[in-house]
Amino acid sequence: MSTRRTRLVVALGLAAALSLTACGRSDTPEGTGETDAEEFSSDDLQGEIEMWAMGAEGEKLPALADAFMADNPGTTVNITAIPWDAAYDKFANAITAGTTPDVAMIGSTWSGDFAGQGALEPLPESFDTSGFFEGAVGTTMVDDVAYGVPWYVETRMVYYRTDIAEAAGYPEVPTDWEGFQEMAVAMQGQPDVEWGINLQPGGEGSWQQVLPLAWSAGAETDDAEGFHFDSPEVLSAVEYFQSFFTDGISDPNPPEGQTEADFTSGRIPMFISGPWMMSLVEDLGGEGFAELYDVAPIPSPDGSTSHSFVGGANLGVFTTSENRDLAWSWVQYLSDPATQVEWYGQTSDLPAIQSAWDDPALSDDPKLAAFGVQLETALAPASYPSWTQVSAAFDGEMEKIAKAGADPASSLAAVQETADELGTGQG
Amino acid sequence: MSATPAPPRRAAVPARRRSAGRTRQARAAWLLSIPFLLLFLVFTAWPVFQSVFLAFTDATRRDLRSPFAVDFVGLENFAQALADERFRKAAANTFYFVLVGLPLTLVVALAAAVALNKGIGRLRSFFRLGFYAPVITSIVAVAVVWRFLLHPDYGLVNEVLSWVGITGPNWLGSTTWAMPSLIAMAVWRNFGTAMIIFLAGLQGVPASLQEAAALDGANAWQRFWSITVPQLRPTILFISVTTMIGYLQFFEEPFVMTDGGGPLSSTLSASLFTYEEFSFGNYGYASAISYLIFVVIAAVTVLQFRLLRERD
Repeated sequence: MSTRRTRLVVALGLAAALSLTACGRSDTPEGTGETDAEEFSSDDLQGEIEMWAMGAEGEKLPALADAFMADNPGTTVNITAIPWDAAYDKFANAITAGTTPDVAMIGSTWSGDFAGQGALEPLPESFDTSGFFEGAVGTTMVDDVAYGVPWYVETRMVYYRTDIAEAAGYPEVPTDWEGFQEMAVAMQGQPDVEWGINLQPGGEGSWQQVLPLAWSAGAETDDAEGFHFDSPEVLSAVEYFQSFFTDGISDPNPPEGQTEADFTSGRIPMFISGPWMMSLVEDLGGEGFAELYDVAPIPSPDGSTSHSFVGGANLGVFTTSENRDLAWSWVQYLSDPATQVEWYGQTSDLPAIQSAWDDPALSDDPKLAAFGVQLETALAPASYPSWTQVSAAFDGEMEKIAKAGADPASSLAAVQETADELGTGQG
Repeated sequence: MSATPAPPRRAAVPARRRSAGRTRQARAAWLLSIPFLLLFLVFTAWPVFQSVFLAFTDATRRDLRSPFAVDFVGLENFAQALADERFRKAAANTFYFVLVGLPLTLVVALAAAVALNKGIGRLRSFFRLGFYAPVITSIVAVAVVWRFLLHPDYGLVNEVLSWVGITGPNWLGSTTWAMPSLIAMAVWRNFGTAMIIFLAGLQGVPASLQEAAALDGANAWQRFWSITVPQLRPTILFISVTTMIGYLQFFEEPFVMTDGGGPLSSTLSASLFTYEEFSFGNYGYASAISYLIFVVIAAVTVLQFRLLRERD
């Protein structure tokens, strides 16, 4: 104890002394990074590059790397798989220490953070991003400069049981809010159905369900200043979201990990999620279950354009790369439509480039095609560094909305306070 | 350095030579302690110094590359923490956890120790191992089992409750029951250590005192309160201080059981809140909260020493 206390006193003294003398922020913000894109050459490639990738992608990439190396003798592409949990910190530390790889898979909400620290190279002009899903390209943009290229995408749709919907008198899913909710109520009235729809009652990542409702209502949740949740459009979306819980259509306290089981048993015949759920419910539901469900777009207030959330990952080249020609050529190879179709076959990652969706592997599956349509209008929050913290505040308030009957207006005001305080987080 | 008493002959040595010898000795001592001093300064003193420094600045993740190019904000971080509704909630949760969990751990551990010391004869080592096993089991594995036990629909706990006609709650999903569930788990996980120490303490209670009291007509209960507990006072102090320091920093239980803060932040602890702020990259703010926790732990420990110290 006493040594610790002495140490503390000494340290406090040192801190005070240092604070008086040494520090203070410089007036010019550091590390805004380059904004001029430099071209690269894909002739005469050689040498070695290192790429970091997370999760299943990290495990399966070496196969593509082998194909690339076979096409380009004399080159070596080393893939390092890193777990998702540790990924963000690993990147943050590598950027600080200047030990970033040449190329990396970059989470779709990270671009702003990394580019803001000057760690990412702007995308060379020779890359044409017009063929990619617009929302996905948006996740690479920081201050109107692209810092990478979308690699794969995913979006959220409404999964529903066609058999139960039909029995409830809904062969089609209404695209407007009111009709959609009526359908959920009608399905809840069917035998053995306990809840109308499975909505995440706040908590981590619940913004991915609520913000699409707001975007579909016409809300603009970010601009150059930061994030904005105080608009009437966001309010209407949150009120709509809350009504599912106050009207007893959704369970505010669902047991965890039951979504698939409740869907296949029919206990909760609707939920909102991404394309990976297709194989999960089909595996669990057994043979023929694929005929018993379908996907529908996120509803909008009047049934017009629906905007879902686009997630996924991007590819970026770090400024520390000593072989940027090879790095960008490898990125170009990965974002080529043919490679993207092949990659879909290996991982089920949906291609970020739209032309790849014409391939029969994707276009023959009507559910997958529906995801393709939803992706065309899907959006993502601006990739500002402050988003992690702002979204955590948003998720916390949504939990109060769903579970504790909090007032939507004051909850959104609380989120806005956090958002205003943090701004874009780039200052 | 020399521990042997100076021989009387040394008094006769001229003063100059003696001081030269001391200097040489001192120099050797410093030289020999340099490796330790370096390690201490770099790996102990420096991190402490830096974190104290951080606590008074507006440092964030983005300042890692130039850690001293940050603004000094005085006590603003501390003021912000005390005004932060979420931090106050975390602090209240932490005190709830300690106030219920600490006495419960002590009582359960003492009861188990007394039972093992007296009642259970042949199976003693079996039970000792059984009660201590949770301490050495990985919390991650434990969490999986506990989450399964507490599952609202298929969990053993609610299954047993349903036999007697009680519909059990969604333990970890309920704002009322999430914290008691975590406390139960923490007590189960931690009382083994306390029990072992109590067992050792109980062996040290003189049998002659017990016998004398028994001869004077004291029953078992009276002997326990008037002989055993006072004799165990130092043991109780040690266990309550160490357990409390651990409990004030409780983190793993909510981290693995309720994915962080739990329903409506009902299991958010002060340490977990600090962890969140660190992961947001708010290093200055998070450091300030760490020191708030440190100060509270120090204060409560001093209080405990006062309350439980030996009385003459």
